[in-house]
Amino acid sequence: MEIKIALAGNPNSGKTTLFNQLTGSRQRVGNWPGVTVEKKEGTLKGENQCTIQDLPGIYSLSPYSLEEVVSRNYLVNEKPDAILNIVDGTNIERNLYLTTQLLELGIPTVVCVNMMDLVKRNGDQIDIDKLSEKLDCPVVSISALKGQGTKEAALKAIKTAQAHQVPRMDKVYAKNVEAALEQIEAILSSSVDNGMLRWYSIKVFERDERIHEILKLKENEKKEIETIIQKVENEMDDDSESIITSQRYDHIGQIVQYAVKKKSEKHALSVSDKIDKIVTNRILALPIFIAIMYVVYTIAMGSTSISIGTMGTDWANDVLFGEIVPNFFDGILTSLHVNDVLYGLIMDGILGGVGAVLGFVPQILVLFILLSVMEDIGYMSRVAFIMDRIFRRFGLSGKSFIPMLVATGCGVPGIMASRTIEQDRDRKMTIMTTGFIPCGAKMPIIGLFAGAVFGGSSLVATSAFVIGIAAVILSGIMLKKFKAFAGEPAPFVMELPSYHLPSLGNVVRATWERGWSFIKRAGSIILLSSIVLWFLQGFGFTDGQFGMVADNNTSLLANIGNALAWIFAPLGWIGDMAWKATVATFTGLIAKEEVVNTFGVLYNFAEVSEEGNEIWTLIARDFTPIAAYSFMIFNLLCAPCFAAMGAIKREMNNPKWTLAAIGYMCVFAYVSSLIVYQLGGLILGEVTFSIWTIVALALLAGILYLLFRPGYKPKTEAIDIQKISIAK
Amino acid sequence: MPLTFAQLNQEYVIVRITGQDKVRAHLRNLGFVENEKVSVIQSIQGNLIVSIKGVRVALDKSLANRIMI
Repeated sequence: MEIKIALAGNPNSGKTTLFNQLTGSRQRVGNWPGVTVEKKEGTLKGENQCTIQDLPGIYSLSPYSLEEVVSRNYLVNEKPDAILNIVDGTNIERNLYLTTQLLELGIPTVVCVNMMDLVKRNGDQIDIDKLSEKLDCPVVSISALKGQGTKEAALKAIKTAQAHQVPRMDKVYAKNVEAALEQIEAILSSSVDNGMLRWYSIKVFERDERIHEILKLKENEKKEIETIIQKVENEMDDDSESIITSQRYDHIGQIVQYAVKKKSEKHALSVSDKIDKIVTNRILALPIFIAIMYVVYTIAMGSTSISIGTMGTDWANDVLFGEIVPNFFDGILTSLHVNDVLYGLIMDGILGGVGAVLGFVPQILVLFILLSVMEDIGYMSRVAFIMDRIFRRFGLSGKSFIPMLVATGCGVPGIMASRTIEQDRDRKMTIMTTGFIPCGAKMPIIGLFAGAVFGGSSLVATSAFVIGIAAVILSGIMLKKFKAFAGEPAPFVMELPSYHLPSLGNVVRATWERGWSFIKRAGSIILLSSIVLWFLQGFGFTDGQFGMVADNNTSLLANIGNALAWIFAPLGWIGDMAWKATVATFTGLIAKEEVVNTFGVLYNFAEVSEEGNEIWTLIARDFTPIAAYSFMIFNLLCAPCFAAMGAIKREMNNPKWTLAAIGYMCVFAYVSSLIVYQLGGLILGEVTFSIWTIVALALLAGILYLLFRPGYKPKTEAIDIQKISIAK
Repeated sequence: MPLTFAQLNQEYVIVRITGQDKVRAHLRNLGFVENEKVSVIQSIQGNLIVSIKGVRVALDKSLANRIMI
């Protein structure tokens, strides 16, 4: 018989670690239908008949967050054979809140108390048998981190499922509430499955907003239930939902008193609190964070003797994809005597294109390892807290910061990291602005122009970051004034887990998941587009004859570039470089690092280094400083690469919003470049006054208007104000 | 008084949580219920880290102002 076990628990309870322990590498990752909450499923090690369904980390089964709704829909509709509920023993009271809700579902449940070793070290005692007695379900103690007792817990869950041992907890609520619940149960009994009756009646009593959509009660039944609820509410002078919450906590308090012995309730600060005193300190928090990030980026992307990431990337570019791989394929292809076209396709098209992307892998992986460590030890949630104060000023929440931090490595996992933001409009805004952050692949573009046109000034790279951040801030303020984004960002509430040592497994897994999304595109979209690009730039019409061209100024790509170059003329992409810049921008959509490669190819250098030193003089001849800057801005801000667009599409989960996000980025980039080129050029004396100057001024005025206009006020707020004035 | 006025590291009892919305329900689910003990560990311009039911929770000012102690 096939058995399905749902794994449920609070965030930070060790659920992910347990899931990895139980299933190893046999996992399938997807999305819950219709939403962007990640769905993980795995097969229990050694038990092929047993599937473990990992539910999102949740605090309760309320209808307020996507994760909670997804979890409860699964539990109620799919009815797994058993629930394995992981509970953090060091924090048992809060964790049992979810447990008591799960036990009401009428599904066989096994509770596993995690971190028992820490509980003992703190001098506390949890009596497993007493806990089991009170909860009326099997309770086991485990240490997910050390892998102790995890398999036994899963086997216990299988046994409980086979015996169909449904928990029946003691009465949790006060007499009058229990009486009301019984009355509601009587009304619902005809329309609801017997095992779920209690859960449904409690949810109906709480006036759960989603339950009525499911139950479809008759009008008279609704009325009857409403009188039952109101009677209790009047008796207790509180709303029904609060009554249930409070009494549930009271009941848990009793269970904890019976089954848990706490050493003493002293108010000594824990080590974790002491660390927090320093790293979240009002004055020190930001400098500490900046210092940490400085070290992180130095190790991953800097050019010092400890910059492991850069060393890896240099080796990959110069040795692996510079010599070893090309030589290997060269050997094979030469011995096979393949024709020149095929040879060129494989060597220049495929290896050149894919190699350029894979060369970044070391830098990106090192960055992601360090970010994963920061996440695993618990520092990232503090960062979100520290940044919340700042981000709130331009309409984003502190939770938007982590996606942007990840995006400095690669935009794809950055956009994916926006999933943790609960509120829909906050998440959409984060997705739309995360792409502005200069990712690792945009660095060579900056390097090329800094070196070729600006004398290697480090100010250029710094300004690129400033532009990225300014784009995020300006967009935040402007978008917030539109109806779709109006309203305060969701209030910030976040549990801060205790600091702990990173677990190797978790770090490796998190790094791999993010890194893989970067590598995967090299094998798919970049491979394909490298082939197309190679064809377009190698072939063309010469004297009316179609064939390979020697001078790529006559290639198909040049034709396309020339045909489209007018679009970018107002941005100052004029003269000889116009079509090259246009083509480079389009190849940048494949991958931003392609921009430099494309210039290399178009200036007739087969192979250029990462920052394209070979073509610096040619670039300097063709690009005036202000045109170079305009090109840089446009490529930093415009639509991200195809892979990131794919990520936007997945996370937005809506074609209209996907188009809106990408369209917004392109328009914003175009307008910014136009203003910088026309007005900046005029001031520097490079550009003369023309119709475009007026356009630029008009656009600038438009931006200022969007920034400072009074924003759309949501209706609910307007009503509130009315109410207040009436009350006066 | 609101939680934002609390002294650091001192234990208070929650009297009331004002407002009537999803966020209030979320706060309750996290353990912010009446008669529960709470103390403030860290305060940055009204944004707080508080200790409740043995857990550390970060709250922004607007929420902290709604928790009466």
